[in-house]
Parts: sequence; C-alpha cells; structure tokens
Amino acid sequence: MELGQPGTADFPVVVFAAAILAAEGASFILVGSAALWLRGEEVSVGDTDVVIEPGEANLHRLHDSLKTLATHPSALPSPRRLAMRSIVPVQTSFGKLDLLLERGRRDWDLLRTGADRIDVTDVGVLVASAADCHALRRRYKGW
Amino acid sequence: MAILDALDSLGARPRRGYRQCEQVLAVVEDSSAVPRGYGYQVLVDTARDWLTQVPLIDGQGNFGGQGNDPPASPRYTEARLSPTGQLALAAERGELAPVPLGLINGNTHRGGLRPPFRPQGIIDAIRLVLRKPRVASGELLDTIGPPDFMTGCTVTGDMSALYAGELMELRLESRVTISDEASLPDLAGLRRPDAPARKRAVLLIDHFPPYANPDETAQSLAERAEQRSWDDDHPELRRATRLQLRNVMDLSSSRDGIQLACLPDADADPEQVRDQVRAVYGVWVGVTIRLRRPLATTIRQWVARNRDKDIAGSLAALEQAVAARQPY
Repeated sequence: MELGQPGTADFPVVVFAAAILAAEGASFILVGSAALWLRGEEVSVGDTDVVIEPGEANLHRLHDSLKTLATHPSALPSPRRLAMRSIVPVQTSFGKLDLLLERGRRDWDLLRTGADRIDVTDVGVLVASAADCHALRRRYKGW
Repeated sequence: MAILDALDSLGARPRRGYRQCEQVLAVVEDSSAVPRGYGYQVLVDTARDWLTQVPLIDGQGNFGGQGNDPPASPRYTEARLSPTGQLALAAERGELAPVPLGLINGNTHRGGLRPPFRPQGIIDAIRLVLRKPRVASGELLDTIGPPDFMTGCTVTGDMSALYAGELMELRLESRVTISDEASLPDLAGLRRPDAPARKRAVLLIDHFPPYANPDETAQSLAERAEQRSWDDDHPELRRATRLQLRNVMDLSSSRDGIQLACLPDADADPEQVRDQVRAVYGVWVGVTIRLRRPLATTIRQWVARNRDKDIAGSLAALEQAVAARQPY
C-alpha cells in the first residue's frame, strides 16, 4: 500500500481522494479496507470504497469534485446517470475510488447510524462502523 | 491468427511490401467474420512495440501513441508480418515446431492476467529443461527472471506468489530522475534569450509503464499542483496532497521517447518532490496477475507436450526473429 507524502501522517495515499471529496462538500460514507484502516485495523488498502448519499444536489457536488480528481474526467457519468448506476469506478491520481451508489440508495440511513467522523489530516471523513464494513465485505466478497 | 493469415495471403511478409490495413481487415472480415473495428484494434495492439515483447505485426504509419494519440484510420496505415509473426503462423500451420510466444508475450496487453517475460529467459528455460529434465524449479525461475515490460519500467511485487500461480498485483513504476535545467536543451525555450542557464532542479519522468497514459499523467500532475477552493480551510490536506510543482512539460520526442519534465517550486526540496511524484497514479500503475499454474510447471508441461517435435530448431528460429526486431 502506498503511504502519504513525506512529512505528513502515513495515511494510505488513496484515502486522500476521499478527504478531497469531503473537503469539496460531497456527502459519503467511507467503507471497505480504507475505513477499517482508519479504524485501526491492520489491513492492506488497495482502493477506496465510498457509499454515496442519494439526492440530486449531492450527486452534482460529487460530479463537480470528480471532474478535477479523475484522471479521465470525460469518462465520468453525468449526475443523472450516476443516479441510475450501481457502482462507478473512478481512477484518480491517488488510486482507484469506487463509488457505491446503489448501496447508498438502499442503506444510507442504516450505515449513517453507525458512522463516525474521523480526521484525515484536517478534514473529517464519515467512516462506517467496523461492524458495518465487515458485514458489507461478508455480503459482497464472502469474507 | 486470422489477421496473420490475411497478411500472409496478401503477401505482406518480412522484407516484402506492406499492405493497407483496410485491405487486410476486409480479408479478415470475409474469412472469419471478425468486425473491422475490433479487428483493427487487435491489429494495432499486435503491432505496438510497447505493448508486446515480440510484436507479430510490423506496422507502418500512425499506430497511435501511449497517450491520447489514437491510431490513424486503417485507410492510412499499413502492415506486414514481422519475422516473429511469420514464425508464429508457420508454427500454427504445423510447418514448424511450436514457439512459446504465448509464454513470452503474455496477455496483460489484452486485459488478461498473464504478464510478459524476457524472450531470452523463456527460450533459455525451455532449453534448460530439454537438457536437464529434472532441473530444480529455482534454477528454472532464475533463468526466466521477473516479468519484463517493454518500456523499461521497474517491476516490483511478490515474485514467489506470482511464480506459484497466485493472484497478485505487480507494481509498474516509471523512472523519475532529478536533473537540472541547464542540462536540458529542450527547456531552453522557456528562458529569456539573454538569461543564463541555471542549475535549477528538474524532475524527468520516462520509462512509463505500458498501460499508463502519459498525457493523462501530465494532466494529473498539473492538477495536483494547482490551488483548490478548500486550500485555506484545510491547510494540512493541502500540504498532504498538493504537489510542489510550478510547471509540467511534455518533452517527448522520437529520439528520447516519452518524457515529462516537472519543475519543482523554487523553495521545494527536489528529492521530496520526487517522492511525491512517484506516488501519483499514472507514474506508477498496478497490474493484476495470475498465472494459470506455477511457472516452472508451465515450462515443464510445454516441453513435455512438444518433446517429440523439433523444439530446438523452432527456438533457434525464434531467437533469430527476436534479435531482428527493433528495440523499443
């Protein structure tokens, strides 16, 4: 796993993509290995999975933010299309970011209940509870 | 194989004339019903020397670049069999013992999981098994060496997992070196004519991995150096994510290949900036790999399957064909 820039705390680099989304006002909950890492578990962080809060305004904010984050912005689905997609992988200069949109439409309120804000540098990122992360992993990866 | 057949049927062989790609695709479509668009994509990939160790097709014209430059229309490009392509076709038709091109080229360039290896490594390993059937796997793997991607990028990863046939990720990294403005004539245009050449540091990025897009990487590097709307509210995030660069330039040329130059901020430590740049996706890429079975077993099985054929002869012909290719 790639760790952060010299002179900064050793966050996995790909977590900064989530921190930038948060700084730009997009609403999401971090899940997956990055969330578990932030919760202190010793896991290898390959990519960043974020469950996106449903709603038109948030999808517009997300889309605007991704336009500067994505290495291939022209391939980004429009906000209207994002509202219909299940998962959208986005390659960023920090690594791969998976937008879990369908999960957001189904489980946002449930995941939000167990989530807490954890600081990534000086940005608070909403991170799912470890129990929710493990439950999602069991459901999708059979772990 | 349909494309190689079509080139052969049109007489587009090594040291003979090229044929217009559109003509080749018409033959392919007639003989195998492969649609032209897909056929052209495969033809172009098979000719690109940064994608495959031993290209089977020798292309002439604009076959596109590693970045956003697409290939020209098949009306304006030409192709013929490369010496290795001719060999592959002969082996496929049974005129020659098999050649281990699949083991050498792998299939990661077509989205598969098998990486390419150094041609001579595979050839030597097969010869070793022919000579010493009970050779230790370790010696065999040492002969083959790690996966070898054509652009000279650095390859790291858990090689023992790779050799054992486990699913793993290889990290392919470009080369990032620190040079100075004075030693780069291409940067002279940026200075006032009367300004003396200075010893300011410049980071040079070259040997991009074959699956990286240098145009997009240059864009990412430039974006990461820009100011963001939240900079003042989140100075720590800015410090952690902003690249200390004042300019990113494309110095690519036919002589030096693909090369990006990054000029660090005046007050930045070049070595620190180099570490920042090396962590940017695009300067490195990850490739997921899984061999179908352990590599040593694959080599032994390949030899066992073809032991009754003249493998020594086909390996010698392959060695010659590989030596005839243009180095990337």
